[in-house]
Amino acid sequence: MTGIDVALDGIEGPAGRMVEPLSFAIAPAASLALIGESGSGKTLTAKSLVGLLPPGFRAAGTLRVDGREHRLEQTDASWRAVRGREVSLLLQDPFTSLSPVHRCGPQIAWTLEAKAGRRLPARELDAEVARRLDEVNLPARVARAHPHELSGGMRQRVAIAAALASDPRLLIADEPTTALDASNQAEILDLLRELQHERGMAMLLISHDLGLVRGRTDEVLVMRHGEVVERGATARVLSAPEHQYTKALIAADPALALDAPVHAEASGHAEASGRSEASAADPPAAAPLVHATGVVKRFGERTVLGGVDLDVAAGEIVGIVGESGSGKSTLARCIAGLEREDGGTIAFDGAVLSPGRRSRTPGQMQIVFQDPYSSLNPMMTIGQILREALAVGGRPATEVAGLLETVGLPADAAAKRPAQLSGGQRQRVAIARALAPRPRLLICDESVSALDVQVQAQILELLGRLREELGVAILFISHDLAVVRRIADTVTVVWQGRVVEQGPCARVLDAPVEEYTKLLVAAAHRDRPHTHDHSTDGRTIPA
Amino acid sequence: MSASLGAVGVGFRRRGVPVTVVVCLVVLAAAFLAVVLGPVLYPEATKQDILSSLMPAGSPGHPLGTDELGRDILALTVAGAASALVGPVCVAVGSMLLGILLGTLAGYERGPLDFVISRWTDLLLALPVLLAAIVVSGVFGGGYWTTVALLVLLFSPSDIRIVRAGVLEQSARPYIEAAQMLSLSRWRVMFRHILPNVSSLVITNAMLNVAFALVAFSSLSFLGVGVPPGTADWGRQLTDSRSIMFDNPAAVIVPAVLIIAVACAVNLVGDWLGQRLTRSGGLS
Repeated sequence: MTGIDVALDGIEGPAGRMVEPLSFAIAPAASLALIGESGSGKTLTAKSLVGLLPPGFRAAGTLRVDGREHRLEQTDASWRAVRGREVSLLLQDPFTSLSPVHRCGPQIAWTLEAKAGRRLPARELDAEVARRLDEVNLPARVARAHPHELSGGMRQRVAIAAALASDPRLLIADEPTTALDASNQAEILDLLRELQHERGMAMLLISHDLGLVRGRTDEVLVMRHGEVVERGATARVLSAPEHQYTKALIAADPALALDAPVHAEASGHAEASGRSEASAADPPAAAPLVHATGVVKRFGERTVLGGVDLDVAAGEIVGIVGESGSGKSTLARCIAGLEREDGGTIAFDGAVLSPGRRSRTPGQMQIVFQDPYSSLNPMMTIGQILREALAVGGRPATEVAGLLETVGLPADAAAKRPAQLSGGQRQRVAIARALAPRPRLLICDESVSALDVQVQAQILELLGRLREELGVAILFISHDLAVVRRIADTVTVVWQGRVVEQGPCARVLDAPVEEYTKLLVAAAHRDRPHTHDHSTDGRTIPA
Repeated sequence: MSASLGAVGVGFRRRGVPVTVVVCLVVLAAAFLAVVLGPVLYPEATKQDILSSLMPAGSPGHPLGTDELGRDILALTVAGAASALVGPVCVAVGSMLLGILLGTLAGYERGPLDFVISRWTDLLLALPVLLAAIVVSGVFGGGYWTTVALLVLLFSPSDIRIVRAGVLEQSARPYIEAAQMLSLSRWRVMFRHILPNVSSLVITNAMLNVAFALVAFSSLSFLGVGVPPGTADWGRQLTDSRSIMFDNPAAVIVPAVLIIAVACAVNLVGDWLGQRLTRSGGLS
C-alpha cells in the first residue's frame, strides 16, 4: 500500500495527557490540514511524527509510510533513518530555521549528501543544488547567498528546497507561512501544492488559519485541547461546519470576511461620540491631529521612506498597509519619535515636532507593539506597569482596576507579572498601558499579527470600542488587509517607502486604482477566498 | 525522625534550593558569624605568649595548637575572619555600584560618554591587579582601606563592561521604547526599567568578585602589603606560619582551607542566585 497512515495512541506530557488518540491517512500527493489554536496539540502531533517532541513528552503509536511501519516510541538514533528520508519537517520561521552562518547552497547540499550516504563531487553537487533551487523558483545564485541577504519569502523557499532535498514521502509543514506577508503566503502555499503533485508527496499542513487552507488541502482535522473535534473534506468543513468550535473559529476569522461591508459605513460613530468636528468621513474639515508631509528616512545607503504624506484626524482610524520592508513601521516610528526622520515635517495637534522629540508630547501619543512578549518589562507587575503609565498622565493609581476592566482583564491581573499571562492577555496589558495617560493617538504597529484569530478578533473589537468611548485616533499598521478592513476608516497603501494609494477603506480595498494595490488585494483574495455563508454574521464592527 | 527529615527535604525542594547551595549557605553563615562574633569571642587573639609557642594541634586549651609567637590558631583564625572577609565584600559591593553607575550610563547614553567610560575600563583592564596593588602600597604606604579602594577601582572594569553589555541588549527591547513613549525620565528608564533586568548578571558577577577579591586580599597579605604584621588575618596567617608548616601544619592548613571554602561557596551561591533571578524575570 502507498501513502501515509498514522495511528497515534496519545502524547503524554509532564502535566498529563496532551493529545488524545487519533488517526488519519494521507494518500500520495494529497494533503491534510491540522487546524487549531495554540495549545490545541497540533504541533505536538506533528513533532511526534518526526521524533522531535520536547524533553518530557512521550508519544505512542505507529507511522506507516508506503507500508513501512515506524513506531513513534523509537529512540532518537532510529528516528534518524526516518527523519529527512521518509518524513521532512518545514518550520514556521524562515528567519531562524536556516543556519545564519552558512550559505544557502551548503544547507541544501548537506541533506543531499546525507541521503546519498557519501560525499558527492563538487560539480555534481552544485548542479543538483541549482536544480533544487530551480524547483522552488529560485535562481542558482541564491546558493552563494547567506540567509540574511534574502527576503522572508526567498528564505522559506530555500527552507523548502532543503526540506525536500531528501525526497521525503511526507512533508510536515508547521505554519509555513505565518511569518510571511500576504502575497508571499499565497505563493509559498501554491508552490508547495505544485511540488506535491510533481513528486506524489503527501503533506500535513499545520495552521491556525482556516482561510489559508481553503482550496489548498483535501482534508481538514480540527483539533482542540488535544482532541479532534471535527474532520472531513476541506470544502465541507469550511462551508458547513458541524462542531460548535469550528463554527466559532470560522466566525472569528477576519479573512473569511474579506468581502464583508467595510466598517467605515458606520462613520456616524464619530459624531455620535461627541467628536463631530473630526468626523471620520471627512478629515479635512478640521486641522488633523497628525499632519506629516514629505517624511524621509534613510538607514545608511537605503532610503526607507521617500517623502511620505499622512494625515490622521482626531478620532479617526487610519490603516497603513504594505508588505514587510515597505516602510510602514518606520513611518509609525518616526511619528512616534522613536526614529529621527531625515527630512519632512511631522506636526501633532498643530505643532511641528522636531525629529526624535518624545518629551514634547508626554503621553499624548502611545504605541502598541507587535510582540506582547517583549513589550512589557518582565520584572514589573502589571499593577506597577499601569500605575507608572497613569502617573505620566497625572492620573491617580486607583484607576488601575478600571483600566484592566476596560481591556477586559480581571482585577487580580494587577498582582501578576507578564510571564504569568498569555499572549493575548499581555497585549491587552500593553493596550491598557498605552491608554493610561489618555493619549489622543494610539499607534498599533502590527499589534494583532502575533495573536490567534480569536484573540485577534477580541482585540480588534476592543480597539473599535475604545475609539467609540474615548475618541482616540488610531494609526493601525498591518500587512493583513482583512484585519485593516475590519477596523480602519481610511487606508494608506505603502510600497517601497512611498504612498501608493490613499483613501476611504471601502474605496481602496474594493475598487483599487493603482496596480500595486490591486495586486495586494488580489493576493489577499487568492489567499483567502470568500465564503458566501459566513461573511456577515458577527463580523461587522461593534457598534 | 525520618518524618521530620522528609519534611525538611520537601521544604527545600519546594523552594528549589539544591543541597550544594545549602552547604555553601551554611559555610557563608558560619563565616558571617565569625566576622561578627570574632572580636567578642577572642578579643585578645593576637596577644603573644612565647611560653606556649609552637604547640601542636590537640594540645589542652589549644585545639588547633599555637604558632611561633604562642598565639592560639583557633582564636587567630576566628578573629581573622573579619579582616579576611570584610575587605573583599566591600570591594565587590563598591565595584558593583561603580559598575552599575558607569555601565548603565555608557550603555544607555551611548555617544561620547560611552567612549570615555569604555576607554577608561580598557585602561584599567590593562593593569595587572596584584602588581598595581603592590606598587600603590609601596608608593602610598599600604593600609587596609587603601587596598580596598584600589581593588574597587581595579575590579570595576568587569562590572562596567557586563552592565554596559546588558543595558545595550535591553535598550533595544520594545518595553524600553514603551517606557520612552511615556516620556519617563532617563534615570527612571535606566534604573527602574533596565537595571532590574540586568540584575542577575550584576549580582552573579559581584559574587564572583567577592571570591576573586578574597584571594587577591590573601595574596596581598601573604606578600606583606595588604595587612600590617600582627593583625589577625587569614592571608597574614599563611605568611607568618610558612616557617612552622611542619611543627604545626594546622596553622597553615586551616586558614588556607577556609579561604578556598569561602571562595567556592560564594561562587556557587552566586551562580545559583543568578539563575534564579534570570528565571523569575521570564526574559533570558
